[in-house]
Amino acid sequence: MEVSREKTGVQDELRRIVDGLPGLVWTALPDGCFDFVNQRWHEYTGLSLDETQGDGWQTAIHPEDLPDLLERWRSILASRESGEIEVRFRRFDGEYRWFLIRIAPIHDEQGHVVHWYGINVDIDDRAIERQRVQISFGHVLNELKKPESRLRTIIDAIPTIAWCTQADGSGEFWNQRWYDYTGISWEDARGWGWRSVIHPEDLGEIIDTWLAHLVAGEAGEVEGRLRRFDGQYRWFLFRFAPFRDEAGNIVNWYGTDIDIEDRKHAEALLAGEKRLLEMVALGSPLPVVLDALCSLVDATAGGCYTSVLLLDRMATKIAHAAAPGLPSSYREFLKGRPVTCDEGPWGMSVILNTQVIVSDLASDTRWNGAGYRAVALSHGMKSCWSSPIRSLTGELLGTLTITRREEGSPTPGHQALIDQFTHLASIAIERTRNEEALTRSEAFLAEAQHLSATGSFSWRVATNELMLSEQAYRIYEFDPAVPVTFDLIAARVHPEHLPKLLEVIDRARREGGDFDYETRLLMPDNSVKYLHVVAHGGRNACGDLELIGTVHDITQRRLAEEALGKARSDLAHVARVTSLGTLIASIAHEINQPLSGIITNASTCQRMLNADPPNVEGARETAQRTIRDGNRASGVISRLRALFARKELPTEPVDLNEATKEVIALSRGELQRGRVILRLELAAGLPCVTGDRVQLQQVILNLLLNASEAMSGVDDRPRNLVIKTERDEGDRVRLSIKDAGVGFDPQAAERIFEAFYSTKSGGMGIGLSVSRSIIESHSGCLCASSNDGHGSTFSFSLPLASEVVTDTHGISTTKTTSLSDEARVVRNT
Amino acid sequence: MVKCPLISVVDDDESVRESLPDLLRTLGFAAQAFSSAEEFLASECVGQTRCLILDIAMPAMTGPELQSELTRRRQEIPIVFITAYGDETVRQRLLKNGGVDCLFKPFSEAALLDAVNAALRAA
Repeated sequence: MEVSREKTGVQDELRRIVDGLPGLVWTALPDGCFDFVNQRWHEYTGLSLDETQGDGWQTAIHPEDLPDLLERWRSILASRESGEIEVRFRRFDGEYRWFLIRIAPIHDEQGHVVHWYGINVDIDDRAIERQRVQISFGHVLNELKKPESRLRTIIDAIPTIAWCTQADGSGEFWNQRWYDYTGISWEDARGWGWRSVIHPEDLGEIIDTWLAHLVAGEAGEVEGRLRRFDGQYRWFLFRFAPFRDEAGNIVNWYGTDIDIEDRKHAEALLAGEKRLLEMVALGSPLPVVLDALCSLVDATAGGCYTSVLLLDRMATKIAHAAAPGLPSSYREFLKGRPVTCDEGPWGMSVILNTQVIVSDLASDTRWNGAGYRAVALSHGMKSCWSSPIRSLTGELLGTLTITRREEGSPTPGHQALIDQFTHLASIAIERTRNEEALTRSEAFLAEAQHLSATGSFSWRVATNELMLSEQAYRIYEFDPAVPVTFDLIAARVHPEHLPKLLEVIDRARREGGDFDYETRLLMPDNSVKYLHVVAHGGRNACGDLELIGTVHDITQRRLAEEALGKARSDLAHVARVTSLGTLIASIAHEINQPLSGIITNASTCQRMLNADPPNVEGARETAQRTIRDGNRASGVISRLRALFARKELPTEPVDLNEATKEVIALSRGELQRGRVILRLELAAGLPCVTGDRVQLQQVILNLLLNASEAMSGVDDRPRNLVIKTERDEGDRVRLSIKDAGVGFDPQAAERIFEAFYSTKSGGMGIGLSVSRSIIESHSGCLCASSNDGHGSTFSFSLPLASEVVTDTHGISTTKTTSLSDEARVVRNT
Repeated sequence: MVKCPLISVVDDDESVRESLPDLLRTLGFAAQAFSSAEEFLASECVGQTRCLILDIAMPAMTGPELQSELTRRRQEIPIVFITAYGDETVRQRLLKNGGVDCLFKPFSEAALLDAVNAALRAA
């Protein structure tokens, strides 16, 4: 009884140890039925042992994880081996947390499973709840030393290392797993001896953390590498919690060491993948990404030398070989190699579009003719596994090839890595190619926009978000670093066009639709730009109102149009001014005909009268015909006068100085040929006259050419020609043209303006007659006078275009401008 | 009676057709007027004409064209051109091409007589 009572007490203590371990501990019968769960299980799940039994425990598993768990659990039961499962485990309050379930069997001597032991470790945030292990460690220790103790069996069997130290941190107890793993004895581990199996790089941090928690008396955890019996280090999570006596003093520390090597690997792999994807997303150059990818595979799977061979666009050659773990001689050999089955496993994997595994390169007869085998062997490679890299659409991009210094085929772990990284490589390659294509197409677009001076823009109406293309920025001359707002645009738009802009904005907000209009910008340097804007407003993919359009800088075109228009009007002007010459030629023909008749008839008449006997009848008839022809010529002149008289005079103000300068520009060639020395005496500030600028210019041109012609035979003196403008009396302006020519008979001063009166051998006198008509229709008068010396002066005076000003006395006066004569000499040689 | 040399006048202007033959007759020539080159070519006078007074610008066949046509027909008639478009370059070209003279309308009786006499001498 004594023994029995004591044994019962010890059992209770052991149970408390099991309950105190920082994990959910359970045992199950060989068939998988639970026969024990520790206190923490109850506390966490809220389920009693009864509720746990049968399928009851399944209610604590996340429904999504349950099918996998059941399958795994069945396969572990069938395999009779240890195993691990990660599942979400429901807490009593309904919250799910990730747990790592470790399961291990106990076998009898025949190898049959007699019991299953398991521990569920919270890996969700590794937070440790403070728990007090309400047991007396000394009692437990004694009991544990008894191999027959069931709890001892449990502690040894739980698939994790468990230990206990004194209050000062010196080690006192480890379960069997510790000894199995480290291979050191209790004597070597006790006290602080356990430090010898901690990785030297991690020891410092572990000791610091451990001591800090010892001082603080708080539960905690730390990660570090623990040396296995075979010298290999694996990552562990060390968790520990203090046990206090009733007075609150720490008596012992309890802890578990959980193997997290696989998780560490997974974490490292995940971090590596994340880095790779970041590189891809940030647009790192493809060779850099592929090098990083290969290095990551090499680091993850020991003994592997990974290369990614990139095909060219035609998929006929190796365009790039990434193999950071291999010497450059290996990469150089591969670069540019043609892709065929004979070239090597990588070539075959591309051609056949399947994985090619060469477990022994030296003996595989498929590559006898290939240079690759020799190169691979010379680099010490014995096996080679090539897998095709395919795009999402199935296009072959390259291969991922792993070479190893050992013979062999990929393990499932290797295969998983290969699958994962060929996928990653395909993402990287495709993304880069898309990026390149996009960059190229963007460059094309930008170039096209630049060449065509067309920018594009979009406006999200709801958010007022404006996006402008590079060229649009250039057109508006905005700082590319500054986001564009309507205020910025409005500041550029010519004030006259602001209402149009506001109207467009308003309409786009209300109804969207199409816009096509021209507008002007007023740039900060006061230059003007002409824009043609075409836009379409509608709903975008997200259903928001968006306006998308182009702005075309048509300044050059518009300026060219304006220049062309001006040139056209200049040309028309020249043609009209000079048309007097053509008109006169045609008038000359019209008049020469009857004139010819008149002279011939008169001659005939004279002869008939002189005949003996005089032919009076014939003479009368010819005289009759002479009169008729005279009338005919007169009719021509009447029609001509009517032509000018009928014309309604425009009331445009004409600056005679400007008009004269234009005429001189037109006749410069003529004046030079006539060796005329031209002097201009144009009065400054000459008021304008009102009239038809073109007709007045025709008169000036006619007078100018007449003057030039009058001097054509003059060789004994300079052919001086003076054009003078001045204010004339009675609010008039006078223009006079003075030549040094042959002059005219002062007696005939009035007759020269009659039609057909000419002092010139070839002239008909029509020009002066028409000129006088024009001047008279402008309420002016044209007159001629002989000079004191040589030549004559023709001048006309016209009334000013008066600007009527009413002074304070209500008397209308004509505002006049003060005059100061400007004399200019233009020498024509 | 001494047969007077026939002078033919070809001009589309009626004033000339009326007045010029009369003047020529008072000067002692036989004269015949035609309103177009075609009319002249169709007449019986082509062979008898000793001098042709020919207008340059006419609506259908022009003066120089009639000159070419006569050359083609081997009818070598001395030609005095007359024109209302006074232009020295045209005159020089016509003289170079075999015209006896070229008179600008209106021309004087003396100028006409000189030209006709020159033509008759050439014939």
